[in-house]
Amino acid sequence: MGSLDSYLPIFFMVVLGIAFASLSFGASKLLAPQRPTSAKEAPYECGIVPTHEPARRFPVRFYLVAMIFVVVDIEVIFLFPWAVDSQSLGRFGLVEILVFAASVFVPFIYLVANGALDWGPIKRVRPVESQPDRTSSSTVRHVGPPNDQAA
Amino acid sequence: MPDPLFAHGVDLGAVVIVAVKVLVAFGVLLVSVMLAIWFERKVISDMQNRIGPNRAGPYGILQTLADGIKLFFKEDLLPDQADRFVFKLAPYLALLPALLIFTIVPVGGVVTIAHHTVELQVADPAVGILFLLALSSVSVYATMLAGWSSGSKYPLLGSIRASAQMISYEAAMGLTIAMVVIVTHSLSTRTIVDSQAASFFHWNIFRLGILPFPLFAVAVTAELNRPPFDLTEGEQELVGGFHTEYSSLRFALFYLAEFMNTITMSAVMVTLFFGGPDGPGFHFVRWLWPILWFAGKTVVFMYVYVWIRAALPRLRYDQLMELGWKVLIPLSLVWLLVVAAFRVGTVWGLGVFFGGVIVGSALWQAVLVGRARREVLEASRAGRRGANDSYLRAVPEPDGGE
Repeated sequence: MGSLDSYLPIFFMVVLGIAFASLSFGASKLLAPQRPTSAKEAPYECGIVPTHEPARRFPVRFYLVAMIFVVVDIEVIFLFPWAVDSQSLGRFGLVEILVFAASVFVPFIYLVANGALDWGPIKRVRPVESQPDRTSSSTVRHVGPPNDQAA
Repeated sequence: MPDPLFAHGVDLGAVVIVAVKVLVAFGVLLVSVMLAIWFERKVISDMQNRIGPNRAGPYGILQTLADGIKLFFKEDLLPDQADRFVFKLAPYLALLPALLIFTIVPVGGVVTIAHHTVELQVADPAVGILFLLALSSVSVYATMLAGWSSGSKYPLLGSIRASAQMISYEAAMGLTIAMVVIVTHSLSTRTIVDSQAASFFHWNIFRLGILPFPLFAVAVTAELNRPPFDLTEGEQELVGGFHTEYSSLRFALFYLAEFMNTITMSAVMVTLFFGGPDGPGFHFVRWLWPILWFAGKTVVFMYVYVWIRAALPRLRYDQLMELGWKVLIPLSLVWLLVVAAFRVGTVWGLGVFFGGVIVGSALWQAVLVGRARREVLEASRAGRRGANDSYLRAVPEPDGGE
């Protein structure tokens, strides 16, 4: 046991959390009405009948992000043991960690240069074709009693 | 340093104290969530020149309780396309990490109850702050599985976006936490807080050079899906995001977990950067002042969250990912190395700092190169498709910039 003792409160909290959630669900089951209809159970679609199945395929960028995340996250986790002992490791530890950081950062720069972390098409401002005859008097139709500049 | 409560093994007294601590923490969390939701609605309505909740209880303070009770009486729908087991599992996965992260936050000093030295925090495991990182990864599963199991397109889109967002910002969060660990030499939250005690200038925000705190705050806000990073529930695009199909109490648990996480992360910011319960006290009821300091600091951050929600518009998704990957992660990595180097020596620190500037400009060049390449790629694709939309065929600028 020994070091596991300090996890006792966490274990208690897990039990309490699960009990709280299950008891709430139980109470809700007793108190709430149960009148399911097929319309209620249909996927939400703002009130209209859904015509498309939910997409099963995703832009590959999400997978790319997940993979790059794994690399960066592993780097972060490997930094922690050094961070705790950084004082006693001193200059040696710093040089080691600089080399380690560089070995992750150089591929990261390569990925960025390849556009691996860019999203969607490049945003551009569309040129506005100027139409001098389009003014508020030509596009807004005035209703009501005719005035001096009736359209 | 292990939890002093278990210095003499686990006896009955220790178990009773643990049970009391867990129950008190649980109760306080639920009540503070109730108050936090009321606080948020009231402050936002003040900022928007509205009255806000004012019916249930004085100043509408019981509004959240009324809403919660109402949700007990609402029909619990299970969409027919849903994966039933995972759909029911997801609210548990959202609630448990929210409850557990709070256990490692030191809310007060150390007191002695019946010959037991009791730290005023629920748990003090040796892994400490790593526990926070682990559990915030688990809460990604709640979001992901909730959206995936709903069998509906908006929750699915919302959850995919949310998981990509949360994992992107988790790396930056881990790096900033590592900076705190460098100066405190310990993962235990109690030691982190103790090492900041004594003086205002010992708080980590000053010891680390201000910058890590904004980095951490932005990363945490994105991790929590709070505005301005709440793209998961952009109503205009995704209805309610990953919990669109959840109703009744299952929805209530997601909502509860969300606000619990906001409170907990405010508390974690106080713990890591603002000395936790540190602050001047008085000689009478000595145990009380640290708790008040801690609560006061946490409320300040809660207020800032509400303020940000009222003030800032939502980011666009590509802006969000650019900020996370191309600004926060490189900046926090470089700053981490600078902090470490300054602790070895000033010459090393300055060297790494200027090295960081060089690396940063290399990254900026890489961003430009990446953009120019994609423009060429898009132009060639548009050309192949024979698109007559002339703006897609634009040749990249000579300097590659926009």
